[in-house]
Parts: sequence; structure tokens; C-alpha cells
Amino acid sequence: MSSPLILLPGDEVPSEYLPSKSSAPLRLGHGLRLLSQPHPTPGSTPSNHTLTATQPGILSTDNKRNAVSILSSSNRRYIPTPNDLVLAQVHHSSADYFHCMITPQSPHALLGQLSFEGATKKTRPMLKQGDLVYARVLSIGLGAGAEAELACVNPATGKAEPGGLGHLTGGMVFDISTGMASRLMKASSSSSDQQDGVAGLVVLDELGKKLEKAGGFEIAVGRNGKVWVDCSNSEHDAVKSTVAIGRCLTMIDEHNLNPTDQRKLVTRILREMKIESS
Amino acid sequence: MGGPIASLNPLNRADGSASYKCVSTGSNILGSVNAPIELPGRRDALKPEEATIEVFVKPGTAPGGVGERYIEGVIRNALGRLILGRENGYPRRGVVITLAIVGGESVGRGGSYLPLLPALLHTAALALLSASVPLSMTLSATVLAVDSSGEIIREPSVKDAKAATSLHALAFTSKGQLLLNESEGAFDFGTWETVYERALAICHGTSTLSSDGDVAMTENVDSQPLEGVLRDTVQDQIHSEYAWKIDAA
Repeated sequence: MSSPLILLPGDEVPSEYLPSKSSAPLRLGHGLRLLSQPHPTPGSTPSNHTLTATQPGILSTDNKRNAVSILSSSNRRYIPTPNDLVLAQVHHSSADYFHCMITPQSPHALLGQLSFEGATKKTRPMLKQGDLVYARVLSIGLGAGAEAELACVNPATGKAEPGGLGHLTGGMVFDISTGMASRLMKASSSSSDQQDGVAGLVVLDELGKKLEKAGGFEIAVGRNGKVWVDCSNSEHDAVKSTVAIGRCLTMIDEHNLNPTDQRKLVTRILREMKIESS
Repeated sequence: MGGPIASLNPLNRADGSASYKCVSTGSNILGSVNAPIELPGRRDALKPEEATIEVFVKPGTAPGGVGERYIEGVIRNALGRLILGRENGYPRRGVVITLAIVGGESVGRGGSYLPLLPALLHTAALALLSASVPLSMTLSATVLAVDSSGEIIREPSVKDAKAATSLHALAFTSKGQLLLNESEGAFDFGTWETVYERALAICHGTSTLSSDGDVAMTENVDSQPLEGVLRDTVQDQIHSEYAWKIDAA
């Protein structure tokens, strides 16, 4: 495939862009739909189905999973999808559930009081209004107007999988675009030694190197366009480093910086905020 | 004749936004889309399986009135045919489109909104695209004035529109189907047919008129078809947003 294919709603996906034929059925992702032609013209190809885009974006194919989807505009609104990791804020709690906010505009998502690692009726986390949790979207409910359900534990194993799900203490949350959130997620889940980093982001590697001496930092990325940063290890510089990291991430998101500019920005912000870096 | 000037995402906090400036009519529109959002008190909506579409047109200087309510209805009906309100996350939610007229001659009380309609539709379509609202296809629209000598003026200025015997606003889907047809003034079927052909050529280029060489020649002077202008705007935006991915490949 030479150049990336940009589609607009209503455009058909050309068959040569689809993953090569294999026995597994093709998985349709975000932004695509299957249309069947009611009256196939005689003599045409036997397949009377066409794939059309419903959102503008780049066609992205995954040969391994035999999947195809559309990568659309990066600052769209977050719509919960099962298995997404999100940063939610507890709004209030009821007998069985914590009612959490994923985005300020959407209805509250439900987080079971017992869906934490090792939680029982006697020992369960006491979350207050405003507390942050890192959770997985368990289900989005069926039908119109249904509430999303969150969980901080894998219901099959009873463990917090992947690690880090649960109540987040300390730190600070920064708002980023949903596109940036998924890029950060890709970048933080796989570390590479490439010059350009993963998904065009070198900021995390760069910050990690520079702040190593100061005690490093913790980061949790939510698909809902939120990122939580904590530097509690770096004693007296904790607040400064947290704000610096947040500023780096929001600036890169806002100005769409390339790897070289990302490195420059990190150096500049750390110098401006007088943080000792190695 | 210069083409329209459009840009995506001029507003930071909206889910999608677009600004659109039509050079020949002088209209300048800023549009924003928020979707899907919770509508208070609409849980018992008339069509619970679909998204509710709301359109607001805000004139630049005066408070909105009957004319704005009427054109809001026209725009809502046209866009309702394009928006896929049954997609995941959209049923019972709202798609709110706000269009502010920020420049150009404002429409007086009781004045006709037809000269502004294409710009409003284009702004709404671009804002919907930038918000990634699921659409079945995109649209392009134009307005034509027919003067007393029977000559067709593309995208007339306010003065031309006042002098014209009839005004026609037409919108086409990206597949070339007629989506919207609003006319005012006195005209006959023959006039409408020529107006239709001309509008289709403006929106989609000349390929549909290959049989009539004469018309095709004049349309080529008219610059790029509007459909292509919208497509280029969106493609440029996606290109810059995904530069990290495209450059790496």
C-alpha cells in the first residue's frame, strides 16, 4: 500500500485495500458499514456487498486480525466501547454502585462497589465524591439510553488486569483530545528504541529519561481524553514535575508537534520550570 | 470567480466546528456541532431509536425570528437524511448544530434566507464531518438567481438576489441525488430544468453533461466543483492531524 487512503462518508472502500483473503471473516471496526445492493446487476461480480465509510478518516487495516476500520478526527467526543480503559471520577455512590462521570456530558456510568480487586462485602473501597478511578468499560448496555458499566477487575480472574486499575491517589488529571489519548496509549504500552518512537510520540521516553534522577513519574491514560500524572516519588519537585509533564502533553496535543519539536519542548519546559534533569 | 474558503476546527471546545466564507455572496458562517449529547427531558422522544437533530441559526446583529426558525427547519430536514442517527451511542441523544452568521450582509427582518442557504448547509456539513458524526454521505449546495432577461447568476450578491425574478437553492448528495430544492419567485418548468442542470454541474463538475459540449465549456470556467472543495478541506485536515502516521509510512 503506497499512500494512505482518506475516505469521506459515503465513499466505498476499494477491495484492493482490504486485508488479503483468508479463512477468518473480516472484522469491521469503527466508522464503516456494510451495505447490500438490493438488485445486483446481472453479469457483475458475485459479491453484492459494498463497504462504505460513515466517518471521514484514514482507512486502517490490520492484516493479523483481519480487521479494517477508519481513524477519524482526533478531537471528537468519546463514546464508550467495551474494553476501553477510562479515567472516571466518582460523582456519588449508592447502595451497590458508584456513579461515575466519564465525560461531563454523558450520563453517569455505573461502577459496582464490589468490582475491585479483592473486594468483599466487608472490605470494599470507600470512594468519596471526586475520587478518581482507572477502570475498564465492561458493557455499554443494550438499547437506547442505557448506562455504561465499568469495572476495576477482570470478572473472570478476580485480578485487576492489566495492573493499575482501581483508585488513583494523588497526582493530577489533564485533558487531552481523544486521538492523543489513543496515541499515548499505544506509545506507553510498547516501548521501542526507534528514533521516531511509537505513534510519533517520543515525549514519554524523553520525559522518562530526563526525570529518572528526580524519581520518575506515573501516568494513566484514559480513552475518554484524560491523562493522570503523578510524581509523588520526586519529593520536593513533585508538584513542579507533574505540572511540567501535563504541560508537555497538552502542548504537543494542541500544536501537533513532530518528534524533534517534542524533544525541544520537553527540554524547554523543564528548563523554564527549573526542574533538575539528567 | 473565487471559490469558497473553508476551515475545520476553528473552535476549541466544540466537538466539531467549521468556518465557511463564500466569496461571491460575501457570507461568512461559523458553525459548531455537539454530538452525541444528552437532551434534558427528551428521554421519551418521538423516535426513541434515533438521534434528535437540532439546528440553530443565529443572525449576526439581530435576535432570531420567524425567518431563522423556518430556515432551521429546512436545514434540519436536509441533514436528517444524511445523519445516521441509529449508530452506536446516538439513539435518544442529540445532535446540536449551531450556525452563526458572522459576516456579510445580514438578512433583514422578513428577508429571504435562500442566498445564505448553501453556505449554511456547507458549514453544517463540514462541522458534522469534523465532529465525526456518522453520515451516510456528504452534500454540496448552491444558489442560483434568474434575472428578468432569463440569465442565470451563480451565487448572487445581495443586490443581484433582490433584482432577480426567481431564486433557486439546490443541494445534492455526494452521489449526485437531489437533496433539497427551495425556490422563490416566478419561473416555469423550463427555467427550473436549466437551473437544475447548471447547479448539478457547479456541485459535481461537468461529467454529467458530456452530451452538451457547450454547457460543459462554460462550467469549466466556473472553477472546481463544490463537492471537490469540501473534500479537499476535509482531506487536508486529516492529513495534518495524521501527519505522524503518514510520514512514518
